[in-house]
Parts: sequence; C-alpha cells; structure tokens
Amino acid sequence: MTPDAPATPDPVLAVRGLSVRFRMRGDTFVRAVTDASFDLRLGECLALVGESGCGKSVLASALLGLLPGNAETAGSAHLGDTDLMTAGENVLARSVRGRRIGLVPQSPAAHLTPVRTVRSQLEETVRELTGPPRAEVRAAAERAAERAAFPADHLDRHPHELSGGLAQRAATALALIGDAPLLLADEPTTGLDRDLVERTVDELKRHTGDSRALLMITHDLAAAERIADRVAVMYAGRIVEIADAGDFFGARGPRHPYAGRLLDALPEREFTPIPGMPPELTALPDGCAFAARCTRATERCDRLPAFENSVACHHTLEVQRA
Amino acid sequence: MADLTWRATAAPRRSTRTWRVSTSAVVVGLVVLAVLVVPPLVNLDEQAVDLGAKLQPPSWAHPFGTDDVGRDLLLRCVYGLRVSLLVGVVAAVVATVIGTAVGAAAAAFGGWADRVVMRLVDLFSSVPHLLLGIFIVAMFRPGVWPVVISVGLTHWLSTARIVRAEVLSLRSRPYVDAAISGGASRWRVTVRHLVPGVLPQAGLAAVLMVPHAIWHESALSFLGLGLPTHQASLGTLVQSARGSLLAGDWWPTLFPGLFIIVPTLAIAGLAGAWRERLNPRRRSELML
Amino acid sequence: MLELSAVTAGYEPRRPVLRDIDLDVEQGESVGLLGPSGCGKSTLARVAALLHRPESGHVVVDGETVHDWRYRAPRELRTAFGVVFQQPRLSADPRLRLAALIAEPLRAVGRTGEIPRRVEELAATVGLGAELLARRPHEVSDGQLQRACLARALVLRPRYLVCDEMTAMLDASTTAALVAVVEDYRRESGAGLLAVGHDRTLLERWCGRTVHWSQLTGDRGGDRAQDLEPAGRTAPGTA
Repeated sequence: MTPDAPATPDPVLAVRGLSVRFRMRGDTFVRAVTDASFDLRLGECLALVGESGCGKSVLASALLGLLPGNAETAGSAHLGDTDLMTAGENVLARSVRGRRIGLVPQSPAAHLTPVRTVRSQLEETVRELTGPPRAEVRAAAERAAERAAFPADHLDRHPHELSGGLAQRAATALALIGDAPLLLADEPTTGLDRDLVERTVDELKRHTGDSRALLMITHDLAAAERIADRVAVMYAGRIVEIADAGDFFGARGPRHPYAGRLLDALPEREFTPIPGMPPELTALPDGCAFAARCTRATERCDRLPAFENSVACHHTLEVQRA
Repeated sequence: MADLTWRATAAPRRSTRTWRVSTSAVVVGLVVLAVLVVPPLVNLDEQAVDLGAKLQPPSWAHPFGTDDVGRDLLLRCVYGLRVSLLVGVVAAVVATVIGTAVGAAAAAFGGWADRVVMRLVDLFSSVPHLLLGIFIVAMFRPGVWPVVISVGLTHWLSTARIVRAEVLSLRSRPYVDAAISGGASRWRVTVRHLVPGVLPQAGLAAVLMVPHAIWHESALSFLGLGLPTHQASLGTLVQSARGSLLAGDWWPTLFPGLFIIVPTLAIAGLAGAWRERLNPRRRSELML
Repeated sequence: MLELSAVTAGYEPRRPVLRDIDLDVEQGESVGLLGPSGCGKSTLARVAALLHRPESGHVVVDGETVHDWRYRAPRELRTAFGVVFQQPRLSADPRLRLAALIAEPLRAVGRTGEIPRRVEELAATVGLGAELLARRPHEVSDGQLQRACLARALVLRPRYLVCDEMTAMLDASTTAALVAVVEDYRRESGAGLLAVGHDRTLLERWCGRTVHWSQLTGDRGGDRAQDLEPAGRTAPGTA
C-alpha cells in the first residue's frame, strides 16, 4: 500500500495504516477507521467523502488527538516528523493543535464562545499562539480578521449577532492565526446555503494556496468537486478509492462501484439511492464491506480486496461509464 | 492488517477525576454501611451515661472521646449521622417531588399559570430559608418530622426553577412539534416527553439537596429548634458541645463537625460526576 | 388543497419574520419552497403544519378553515400533516427506541392495535432492519435516525407532508433514498408535499413545482438576518 505519488517534496501529512476502534461494553469493538493510508502535500486539497457514520469524522478527531477515552488506535500519521498517533497530549496541545493543524469546525456558531466578541477571541488566540508584544496584539487580530475577509466593523460583535457566513469566516480567521501548514475542515458546509457553501469552500481553497495543505471532510460531493485536487472515498471505515478529482467527477468517473453509486445518487445525476445500508461498524464482514449492496459482487468479494492502484475492489469500473 | 498493535488513547485529566469519584463513592459507601449496619450490630446504648468517664479525650476505649455526661462520642456520631441522613434524604425527596411538579406544570401550561406560579416562587425565595424553616418547626413540637417538613417545604424552590427552565428548553424541541403533529395531547407530551426528559436533572438536584438538607437540619438543631437535645443528630451534638469547646475540649465539636462535612462533600462529589455524565457532549463517547 | 393566504408570522410581537405570504399546495402536488437560511421559510412550514399560530392570515385545509394551532387544533386536522425536520437528533425523543419512535403517533391517537403491523411495514419502506429498530437515537447515525423520523411522519397516513430541510444533513445516497420513499408514498396515497430547502438542484429534481422565497415576498425581503452579500442569483420561474 504505497502512495502513488511521484518523487515530490515530503508530504505535509503522511497517514499509514491508521485504524481507530472504540471499545464498547462486553468487549465488542466499533471499528470506526480501518487501515487508512494517504498523503497530503503542500498546496493540495484532499476531500475525504462518505456517508454519515462511515468514520470520516473519527479520522479527523484521531489526527487532532481528540478521541474519547474508550478509543484505541493503530498505525501512524506523520505531520512532518511528529507521529500524531503516539505524540502525547502535551505535545498535541502545545505544538500541534492551532500551530501545525488549523481546525475549521463543523458548526462555527458552536465553536465560538457565545459570551465574547469576535475581537476578544481573535486577540486571545493571537496571544496564545504567536505571543507578540502587548501593543501589537490588537493589530495582529485585525490582520487575522482581514485575512479571512471578516469585516473590521463586525469585530466587536458577539457570535449570535453574526450571519452564518460571517460566523464561518470568524472561525476560519481563528484557524488561520497559527499559520499551521495543515488545515483540517470537518464538514465546514453543513446546513449552509448553496451560495454560502461555494463561498466558504472557495475561501478555504484560497487560504490553502501554495503554502498549506487542506484536508476537507465532507458528505457534500458538490463542495468536494468544487475545490478538491484529490478525492478519498470512505466506506464502512475504509478508504476504498483515492482519485484525482478531475477524473473522479469528470468523464472517467470513479472506479470503485460504491463511489460510482454515490455519485449517481446526486440529484443532478441519476438521483437513485444505493439499496440497503452500510454494514454496522461492530459487525463488519470479512470480505468487501460493500459487496452486500453491490451489483458487481461475486464470490471473489468474500475476500477483502487489497488497496491497489488507488482503489480497493475486485471488480473496478474500468470501462468508461456511459 | 494482521499485526495491528492497538494503543489506548491518552485521556487527559481522567485519572484525578476517577480518584475523586472513587473516594467519594467509598465515603458514601462507608456512611451507608455505618448507618445501616452498625447500630443493630453493636447493640450498644448510645444514651448510656457514665459520669465517671465524662469529657475524656480520644482513646482506644473511646476513639472519639466522651461527652460531658460520659457518653461515647463515636457511637453518638454514628447515631447522629443516621438521624441527619434520614432527615436529609426524606426532606430532599419531598423538596424534589414538589419542585418537579410545580416547575413542570408551570412550564408545560405556560401563559398566565406559569407567571403566577413563578411569581409565587420568587416571593417564597425572597424570605430566607432558615427564617421560613424556623417558622414552620415552631408550629410543631420538636421532633424528626417537623424538621423534615420544614426543610422539604423550604427547599423545592430552586428545583422548581431548574425543572421549569429545562422543560421550557425541551418544549421548543422539534420532537415536541412532531408529537403534536402526531396527535399527542398537551398532557401526553408533558408526561411522555417532557417530564422524563428532566428526571435526570431533578434526580441530580435531589442528590445535591441531601447535603444541603443535612446542613439545614444541623443548623435548626444547633439553634435548639430542631430535634430535642437528648436525641443525637449531628446538629444537636455540635450544639451540646459548645460549652466544652470554650473549656478547651475540642473533640466533642471536631468529630460531629467532620461527620457533617465529609459525607456531604462525598455526596456532592458523586453528584458532580453524575452531572458530568448528563452533559450531552460526554454522553455519547462515540463520535460517528 | 392546502391554502395559505396573507400569512404574517413571527416569534415576537410586531417583529414578523414573514409577511403577507400566499402559497397553495394541491392534493397530490409537490411544491418545493426554495430560500436562503434565515428567510422565514421554516416558520411558514410550521404555520402550514398547524404548529405555529400566525399573527394574521388564513390557513385552509381541504376547505376547512383553521382556527386553532398546536394542541388546540382538532386532532384530525393536526394528524392530516406529517412533518420531517432538518435535524434528526433534535426531532427524536432521546429515550425512545426507534420502533417506539415510529409507533408514537399511533399510540397518541389510541390505535395501538395497528402498531406491530405498521411499524414493520414502514421499517421496510424506509429500510430499517429489526436490529436498528431496537436501538436508541444515540446509537444510530443521522441518516438512520432521519429514516425513522420519516417513518413516524408517514405512520398516520397524512394527507400532506411538510419536509423542512429534510436532507440538509444527509449524504447523497440517503437523500435519494428518503426522497424516493416520500415520492412512493405520494404516488400511492395522493398526498400533497411542501418541501422546504435551500438546494435548488435537489428541489427542482424532486418537486413538480419550485417556488423561490423571493417570489412569495415580492422581493420585499429585508427581514432576514443580514448577510454580507445577498444571495447572488435570483430565481427563475416555476418549473
């Protein structure tokens, strides 16, 4: 399972064989993430897509070291030379969260402290992360707001006085302060209007530029199509396909049957649901987890397909789809 | 995939909390054991007077020392705790039942009924608890039940407020809309969706009320208004020790005092852990 | 036919979030109401489903003028509507197992005898297995919970369905599945549908007729929480 990348500079984030499981009562396990591997390079935007409950948010929490106490992990996730999976809470709190990974949260309104103004939250973060001389904190906070296109005349407002779009920008401004090389956006567009979705992801793309890498976790395929360079599709805890976004959404189309059916479910395409539901993460089959819902499944699918050539399937959709 | 080595995740600040919770649990367990098991088991008379051994400092024979008529203070403390705990628990249950009923009814009906009830609650709250409690006990002869009634009737106000606020917040949930659309009556929504939703909060309030009620009983008894002085309760013990304390004899005050403070802190500690469990962000450890 | 005429509604006196709105939904018709978030379209949906009393205006359901809302509305009128909301987590009583959640309306109207059969039928319709039916809301995913909420909305066989951003939190496949369930029910029962949302592509694909909020207000607007830029595109005509 080697990444299919040419000899380019070292990745910002290198995830290898990352697995997360939750220990439940009676020693059963919820296998939320299984054997995930991918690279993320500077200037690149990787969209991790999948249905709700497929484990993509757990993956994000694992990278941030925010898993609950009953979780266990395996594999590695190197951010530079730090392995996020083995680094202690002290390292994560002091040198990773905010400084090397900026988090763009799912619901900005809940992410911001309701009783304090945007300015005071920006200033606090500036002080905490960059520690400039006292006199420059105010100016630095205003620069941070400007960078995220947050209007200066709204700085003294409280979060509930902001529209959804502005709250999202305030949260983005906070995420950008530490100049982290990796931006992690967890469902940044949930519940937003289409226009606001487009604006939000465009801004994320702009902030990524050439100096950062963006990992966007989303169930919104249209948002992924808009800004992603590469797409990773997750199903029942596994990454089943990683593809160039242009190919994936374009004429070539996805190669994994699940990814194909997921795209077909979009209202702008066939609008047909995939029959059945994903398997429970407590009772994953030994073979391909999608086989039970897959029209191409044969007995070969009782064996777990290896992740080869960026796809994990015995019967890939290699032919161009009509 | 074959050779997966699983690592537990570091869960910060969990150990100190576990320590606090388990200490509290041990203390509460000991208290319950002492109160339920010791009196019938040892079968000693806590009222046994021994004028030859009065005001003895702690020793092997009397670990907590003796009081001014020579009664064993350890035994008196255990019996006192028994009475105080009984008063505390019953009074807390009375207060919680009244508070939950009033708060839930006010919120469920809303409108003017809510306004009238809550203004009454405000009115009651403006009178100091202790004063009201004294007024109530003064109407009866000294005894356990007047104290229970006094504490119960003065302590439901905060529970009523908590329950009302909680019901009001649940009332605006979409699942109440869905229930209305499904044909449910106001009564059904209240008893099936709203009240069960606040029971954990009300239960927590009840547990937190127990130490409060114990303190209140002690205060009333200390003022000589609660239990008759010969009956051991933590309050009467501290009260009757006043004279000795001035003479420099510390143990008749210290041990009952500790018996008030340590169990109440332990109960509050357990209640704190429970409150944390109620916190919705912690409730589902799984984040799928 | 469901007729809303000159509806003005809000949550505080003299600060209506919507003003003077007219909207009709015929029996068997599917109407998509498209608008930006915060514009008041959810409030209109709640007025239509008899869940929020408007300050003024009329609601007429199949010729019957509505005089009372919420608990005061006659039960036959209330249960003529099935409602599904955006956030399944908030729409489900956290203590009820999914089977009880789906059966709740039958229990509320005293038709407990039908529970086993209807729950089984609807669970199959929305694709929930027996194992999932025995779980509580926090043990299932958003998509699975929304399936249960849709089943609950259908259990009394409503004459109208009101879906307020039903699929906003869901992935493409679950969205398509739930829409298919709604459409099957409509075809079979002839019920009317008011689907409120902000996703133009979805609503135009789903509904026979799509109305933009600005068409209802005649672009008087102005009441929505101010945003930095106005929603760029204006609505094309009805489909």
